[in-house]
Order: sequence, then structure tokens, then C-alpha cells
Amino acid sequence: MASSTTLSSCSEIPMDKETREEIVASDKKRKSSGEKLFITDDEEASSSHSQILNSPTGKKSSPMREDSVPEEDRGGDTSDGSALSCVKKCDDEEKVTEEDERLNLELTRAFDDISVATTGSEEDKLWNGNNISNLEKSENDDVLHRTMENVLGSGGSLNTSMISEEEGLDGGINAIWKGQKRHVFILSESGKPIFSRHGNEEKLVTLFGVMQALVSFVQDSGDSIRSIRMGGTIVVFFLKAPLILVCVSNLGESVAQIQTQLMYVYNQIVSVLTLKQLLQIFEKRRNYDLRRLLSGSERLLYNLCNLVESDPSFILGAVRCLPLATSVRDTISTTISQTLSKLKQDVVFAILLANNQLVSLVRMKKCFMHPMDLHIIINFIDASESFKTAEIWSPLCLPRFDATGFVHAHVSYLSDECQACLVLLTVNRDSFHALSEAKHRIVERLKRHNCLEAIIASMNNNWPTMSFVNVPEVRHFLYKNRSIAQFMAPALEAPYINGSSSLPDLNSTTGNENSFQNLSISSISSSSTCAGGTGAPHYLPPDLSEELQRLYSKYYRIHSRLHDRSRPVSLIYWVDDTENWLGWLTSTFELYVTFEPLVKKSAAINAINKLRKWVKKEEDRIFIMNSPTF
Amino acid sequence: MATRKKVLLKVIILGDSGVGKTSLMNQYVNKKFTNQYKATIGADFLTKEVMVDDRLVTMQIWDTAGQERFQSLGVAFYRGADCCVLVHDVTAPTSFKSLDSWRDEFLIQASPRDPDNFPFVLLGNKVDLENRAVPQKRAMQWAASKNNMPYFETSAKEGINVEQAFQTIAKNALAQETEVDIYNEFPDHITINPDSRNVRNDNCSC
Repeated sequence: MASSTTLSSCSEIPMDKETREEIVASDKKRKSSGEKLFITDDEEASSSHSQILNSPTGKKSSPMREDSVPEEDRGGDTSDGSALSCVKKCDDEEKVTEEDERLNLELTRAFDDISVATTGSEEDKLWNGNNISNLEKSENDDVLHRTMENVLGSGGSLNTSMISEEEGLDGGINAIWKGQKRHVFILSESGKPIFSRHGNEEKLVTLFGVMQALVSFVQDSGDSIRSIRMGGTIVVFFLKAPLILVCVSNLGESVAQIQTQLMYVYNQIVSVLTLKQLLQIFEKRRNYDLRRLLSGSERLLYNLCNLVESDPSFILGAVRCLPLATSVRDTISTTISQTLSKLKQDVVFAILLANNQLVSLVRMKKCFMHPMDLHIIINFIDASESFKTAEIWSPLCLPRFDATGFVHAHVSYLSDECQACLVLLTVNRDSFHALSEAKHRIVERLKRHNCLEAIIASMNNNWPTMSFVNVPEVRHFLYKNRSIAQFMAPALEAPYINGSSSLPDLNSTTGNENSFQNLSISSISSSSTCAGGTGAPHYLPPDLSEELQRLYSKYYRIHSRLHDRSRPVSLIYWVDDTENWLGWLTSTFELYVTFEPLVKKSAAINAINKLRKWVKKEEDRIFIMNSPTF
Repeated sequence: MATRKKVLLKVIILGDSGVGKTSLMNQYVNKKFTNQYKATIGADFLTKEVMVDDRLVTMQIWDTAGQERFQSLGVAFYRGADCCVLVHDVTAPTSFKSLDSWRDEFLIQASPRDPDNFPFVLLGNKVDLENRAVPQKRAMQWAASKNNMPYFETSAKEGINVEQAFQTIAKNALAQETEVDIYNEFPDHITINPDSRNVRNDNCSC
């Protein structure tokens, strides 16, 4: 049904590099106050700042005219005209405005090109990335076929005539297990089980053997297996010696996206052991049973698998910030930085988190936090309920920062009332008492400046809702600022929250994906906010509403298409029977928008401009534009 | 260490086609036997839990294909094995002669850390049959010459010696397993060097 009604098309916007560089130059003044927060992998973006957002994208005309404008009425041009006519308020922003107009014009042109619908077959081409590596020898096709069936749990059994399935697979593979939408398996290169997302890995020993055999089989022909696609199910292999990670998913992500997710899982293991130790162990003993060293850390892996499924920040490779007024955030950062710089305890990073969102990050000069590492820290905090009751001192390896050794983390929550978590990372293993004292000093000072109240207020405040953003055509969006690796999304509202509730305020946290898990538990009231943020039962798979799952799946598909290196595209507009979608990738931002289903082209363009204008206006509040250093 | 998980052992069964590898495994795990011959394609995997000296051991048994045309699962397949079981048919002298090459191939492909002391077990199968061609003495001599590898005469059909053989396999593999334990030595201390600290490792594909 979907395929017959889907109109999909993509169009490319050529980016003018020179113009962009000019803008960067003109923005130097503004940027000089602080350095970037993260190193990011977006090479392109790292050189430029998203100043285009700064401009008034003048749309004086009301967005409510979609019904009166016929579709072919060159609606884009009209809106563009109004953008040109807008008053330039400030000289500094002149160039920025030009850039913005140019973007606007390109958007409009691209939309005009889109007017012709392409056939449904385009869709198939779009998402059929990489299939299984070629398998030649015909005798072995049988093995593979059989084993694949097993991997996918679709009823194949091992040599059924002789070995009864019940005995052979003993409760490991049952109906519930087969019904899971996503599986993650970790095994050693020798085929020994390390972790299974669902079920007891001990009971799945044979299945792990099959996976290792598949890897080994393809390796033997000098190739390496990447994925197997069977209908809507995909099996993705991520070979990262000495481990093999496998994900079986039918949620519609691309191979590259799943590999990114598996990369996080791999990083989590490195974070517990350090890469050095991991490699040494298997160098010494290939048959080592890694579960021994990981015992006690399984909760981190379970929690990470849940987060990866329910939180777009992992696929976007970006972090979400707790919305705060700049003045408050500056006070917090300055307080932390001043207190710690006096200590001389080799603190490399000080991070304040609330509801898995970043409140503040202070770092040592020349040390950078990679978003992947920050996600590992977020998971570490999110997975550990016990941290709420005590100060914790724990070794932690940040794989992108330094995979060879541990940093030491002092973890504590600010207060019973304010469930923001302060993480102080040092290379000095004897700093616990010094950092513990420092933490108390920080809390006292923050209290004096009323910062705790501000944090609590923001954590409780479900901000921003789409009605606050006030772009009625848009139901939901994700905006990623590429140069700072941060993204924002509005609070979830109907129809994307469970039970088709029309009360967007039902959920207490700030629209944080963490709250998606809570949404399934309707008993969480807005009064229990702070605890509710991280109090979700993480060992259970996140119970996203079907609508939300659909929303994310679509975003992920668009994301995958925009980042397809072999067929680059910067703009996608997608019409289906429930919503219209837009994906837009520029050198400075990524934007994913969900429109009302009947929105007209001109209205969509208007809406995007309004959205960008809004983001620009609130930029200081929703993003952390600079990070102080010690 | 009290909460230590059960031990998992990877056991690989090798030998010419038709010597009864799958039957032995099936007798051991499922207590079943069939006279029908069905070539193993690639490999079969089975699990069996046993108690060895008060420890619960899960054996992950990899039953491989004897026929050459099915032996394409690759080098990596043998990697990280804890024990290797060599099987020959006492009524088929060629299968006995092949043992050397099976053993060599395993040692090359699995390249265990200490090949001289890697635990092998030799099984002479089909002792229930009349037309015996490989004398027990010869087989014992061969086994003794290979670092005193334990030798069992088995019958998958009658279930003779199968349990004992696999018990020995588990025991020997476990001895290897416990012999060396990885000590969780404290990993390196990170030092902050302001000049080189600007790490940007590109060991990630994202």
C-alpha cells in the first residue's frame, strides 16, 4: 500500500564553498569567545559555523495560506520574494542574510524540480544498499541458507532429522525470542558467546557458532561479510578484531547506521576493559571467555542497546543539550571551571548531565570530547541507578579520547532535588577526596547563584513544544548543528506519543528521548520529574509507540539516504499517506522535518524558513555554542 | 570468583567422511543413533552441559564435514578451540592414515599458543563391527607418539565409551582452560601531554 502511494524524489543543492568561507570570516568576531565543544567527524562542518541561521528569513506573509495558493503557482518564488524584501537589521548580519537567501532560493528551486513524482521503484533503489557478499560455491549455499534461517530464527533447525530442536536449542530460541524486532550479539572470533541482547547467551551457543562460521566462510575467500538481507530483516556483521558484533533488525535502518550502532556497543566494551587489555587478552588466549571480565557490566550493554534504539542522538552522532538561558549556563560552566582549575588534579573533563542531556562541559585545553565518548558517559550514568545514592569513583576508558588507558570518573548527583549528574574525569587515580570536596564547593556556589532551580525548572519544563515553536504545518523535527555535533528536537506530541494522548504535557521530562521509555508507563506524573527521567526500567526493551517507531524509522531512512556517499543528495522531500517529510543536509546543519500530510509546497518552504528562523533565535538556549577550558 | 559463570569449551571434531563424527556427537548429546548416512554439510553445532570436578561446563561442539568438498568454512573456523577430537573408523585403514594430516591441518589453521600441549583426543569408532582393520595396538602407538593423546575405542551405535570419551575431552580442555588465567593487571595510566593530546584517531568508520 505504501509503495503505491509513495511519491519520492530527491534533488541536489550545489553548495557554493566560497560563499560559505566568506561567511565564516565575517563571523570570526562572534566565534572568538570560545572553542568548539567536540571534535566531530563532519570534516566539512568543522570549518564553518552555522551562522546562516542567524539571519532574519523574513516571512511577513502568513503561513496559513496554503489552501489559497494553487500548487503550481510558483509559491516558492513568492515566498522567496518576501525574503528578499525583508529589512536587514544589522550590518554584521548582512552576509549572513545573503547566505540565507541563497539557501532559501535553492530550497525553492529544488522544490520546483520535485513537482514531478517519480515511480515507486526509486524507493527500492534507494534502500537497497549492500547485500551479502558473493557466495560462489554452490554446495555451500545449502549451508548458508540453513544457517541464515537459523540466524533469523525462522524455523530452520540444525540437521532436523537427527537432532531435535527442543533439546538442541533448549529454550534459547522460542517464540518471544523470535518475535524481537532487534537482536544484538557479541562473540569472540572463535565463536564463543559474549553477549546477547535477548535471551540467555548460554542457551544460544550453537547460534553463535553459526555466526562465526558465516564470518569465517566469507573470510576464507578473501572477503568479509557485511550484511544479509532477507525480506524486511537484515543481519549486519561488524567485524572488529578480536570481536564479532552482529545485529539482526527489522526496523529498517541501513547497514551503515546499524554498523554505527554496533560501533557504540564495541566502544562500550572497550570502555570497560580498554582496547589494550582487550587485544592483549585475545592475543594471549584466543579461546578466552570474555564474559568473565565483563561480568557486572552487562547492564551497560543492555542499557546501551535500549538507548541506541530509542534515542536518535546515536544515529545522528550528536548530543542533546538541556535548554538553559545563556547566562545560567555560563554561570554553571564558570563555577565548575574556576573551582577545578585551582585544584591541580589533572581533571580533563567536567560534565554536567540532566536527563541524558548536556548541561555543561568544561575541558582541559587541547583536550576534546568526541560525541561518541560522551554517549558512553551518558550511558554509564543512565545505566547505573545506584549512582543516585552515593558518590562513585570508577575507572572508565573513553575510546575516542584514549583507548589505551583509563580515566577516573568521580560521579555524583548535585542534590536530592536536582537530579543533574556531575561527572569529573581525571587521569589521576588518587583524586577522589579532592574531587569530592570540589564537588561540594561547586554545588554550594551553584546554589548561591540559583542555578539548581534553573536546572530543575528546565528538567521539568517540557520545552519546546511544537505549539511554542509555532509552525503549524510541522508536526515534529530534528535539527542538528553539524559543527558543534549537537541536535535538538521538540517535545513529542500526538500522534507520536502512546495512547494517542492529546496532552503533550503528560510527560514531564524535556521531550528527551529518555522519556520515550517513560511514556509507555502512563503512571509517571509530572510531579515525579527528576526521578522519572532515568528511572525507566532499562532492562526492558524500550516500548516506543508504533507511531514514534515509524517517525524514527523514516528519519533514519532519510538520514541514510542523505549520507549515502555513493549517491550524494542534499535534499529529500517525501510524500506518503500519513505525513510529508523533508530531509535537508547542508554543510552546517541537518534538518529532518515531519509535515502535516496535506501541506502544500509553498507552505512547506515557508514552514522550513520559519523553523530555521526559530532555531536561530533560540540557538543560545538550545545549543552550547562554546565550552570554557580549565 | 564465587559468582563466576559456567565454563564454555569449544570442541572441534575432525576426521575422514563417514567415520561417524556426527553419529558420535548425536549419541553423546541426544542418545540417538541412525544407520542412515547423511553427509554433514559445512558443520553442525551442538551444545552439551556436563559436570567436571564440580564445575558446570558447556561444551560447544563443532561437528565438521569430512568430505573435502564441504570443507570450506575457512581457516577462522578452527580458531580458539579448546580441544580437538580426531576420529577414525577402525574398519577403514585409510581413515587412520589420514589422522596425521588432520592433526597437522588443525595445528596450522588453529595455530594454538602451545601446539605441543594442545589437548587432542583420539577416537577409534565402529568397534561394534566385525571387519576390524586397524589394530588397537597400532592406534595406541600412534596416540602415544603424539604427546600421549588419550585414545578411546568407541561405538556410536552401541553407545560404547562415548560418554567416557567426551568426559575426558571436557576434562582435558578444562585443564588447559584453568592452567593460565588472565590476571586483570591494571592497565596503563594515561598521561596528559598537551602537545599530543589533541587526539583524533580515525579508527572509527563513522
